[in-house]
Amino acid sequence: MHLERVEKRYGEFRPALVGLDLSVARGELLLVQGAAASGKSVLLRLLAGLETPSGGVIRIAGENLAGMRPRARAHLRRSMGILPPGGCLLERKSVLENVALAPWVAGAALEEGMRRARAALDLVGLDVARYGTAPCAHLTSGQRQCVALARALVNRPALLLLDDVLSALDETSAARIIGVLDQFSAAGVTVIAALRSAAPSLPMAMWPARARALRLADGRSVA
Amino acid sequence: MNYTASRALALGEALRRTLGRPVEFVLVAGATAVLLGVGALAALALWRAGPLDVPSAARPQALVLAGGAQGEIDLGALQAALRRVATVASSEFVGRDAALSQLAQRKNLSSLGLAELRPNPLPDAFVVGFTAGAAPEAIEAAVAELRKVKNVESVEYQPELYRRIWLLGQLGSRLGVLLAAALAAALVIGVALTATLWGRVDPEEIRLLDLLGAEPAIVRRPYVYAGAISLLLAAALGWLLVVAASSWLEPWVSAAALQFALPLAPALPLVWAGVAFCLGAALVGALVASAAARMAIRG
Repeated sequence: MHLERVEKRYGEFRPALVGLDLSVARGELLLVQGAAASGKSVLLRLLAGLETPSGGVIRIAGENLAGMRPRARAHLRRSMGILPPGGCLLERKSVLENVALAPWVAGAALEEGMRRARAALDLVGLDVARYGTAPCAHLTSGQRQCVALARALVNRPALLLLDDVLSALDETSAARIIGVLDQFSAAGVTVIAALRSAAPSLPMAMWPARARALRLADGRSVA
Repeated sequence: MNYTASRALALGEALRRTLGRPVEFVLVAGATAVLLGVGALAALALWRAGPLDVPSAARPQALVLAGGAQGEIDLGALQAALRRVATVASSEFVGRDAALSQLAQRKNLSSLGLAELRPNPLPDAFVVGFTAGAAPEAIEAAVAELRKVKNVESVEYQPELYRRIWLLGQLGSRLGVLLAAALAAALVIGVALTATLWGRVDPEEIRLLDLLGAEPAIVRRPYVYAGAISLLLAAALGWLLVVAASSWLEPWVSAAALQFALPLAPALPLVWAGVAFCLGAALVGALVASAAARMAIRG
């Protein structure tokens, strides 16, 4: 994945991203850090092809993201696991249905989707027997984050784009999720995780040493 | 809920959306069916009345009496001069002999009266017809012009009568336009409401599906099916109303057409017209729901 002089502006407001150059190799674990409104979420949305940059080029596997047709972008997104801020869950649907939605969209049969959803929920440490059929509206914020993470992981994607990944998680759950992401990364999955820099309860030392950090401030990469 | 590429599953989801709320469905689809039925009936009535002309009674006419003795004037030239006057649409020659024979056919005219007319013959006359729907002022100006034409003795025209008829006609046509506009607006709203109600788009769900990489066509599919099904059912119900109303009215319409020698267009085959109507409505429903889903995807 290569980004060359990538910019994103919203109207007349200050640019959300300015001249960002970045290369991420396959299997790399990149932690994007920054305060609120530093450009982390914008960067992840651009990488997911949910928005187009105002300037510069983003290439994923050699393909210019901006030049892709909507159908090709949808196809590309099916090979990604995306955790949007807030989780973006269907409140009235059950935990299992929310997680199984990703494999169903990717073309899995009903039962196969459910089977994969159970495995993904096990992976993130959510008790399927207890919470599987509960509507997402009944969950705590930490449990909701686990469901959204399970949905991002369920298809064994090639690229994980995780916004505010440890949000609402206690230290035990956070350690578990970091361990899972480390396993995925070691297996060749590229992981890009955005973290708020103001999260003193979850120190950087929890992440594996091979994780690379990218710090953003006011839309710019800082040393 | 399932968003795989399977059309059967999308159809199941659409049916669940459409028939899952039966009371709401009966109310909204019933109202739309009535609107569609009234619209279809109006269209059928217009189609059947298509060959009808403006009734002669509603057309303004004047009687132009030619001056001079028989054989002294060139009636052909006079008729041509009358036709050249603005708003004159037709002119029919009624010769003095023809007028006398028409009078002779009237049973209540005594033979004595006819005997008196023979030595004092009727003048040659033209029945001049004006353009249907022309304003009274324009016709009165034309009448004044007709009076100035050479060899015209007099022109008989009743301006007050035509002014009243014209006013009533104007009022009727404006009311008709108003009613047609109200019906069209109600139809558009009803169709859009029915098509989007069961294809009701949940923006959150659509954004999530987009995030997960669902192809736009697959995301839209259940909504498109639901829109098509809901309008198909409403149209079918509406067409049943059309069939019932047609069966009830047809004997009377046929009798009236026979009695008044009205050249009505033949009645449409209701089954095939109904199939076309329902399919058209389903297509409109699919297009409306697709547009709503497309807008939600664009966010």
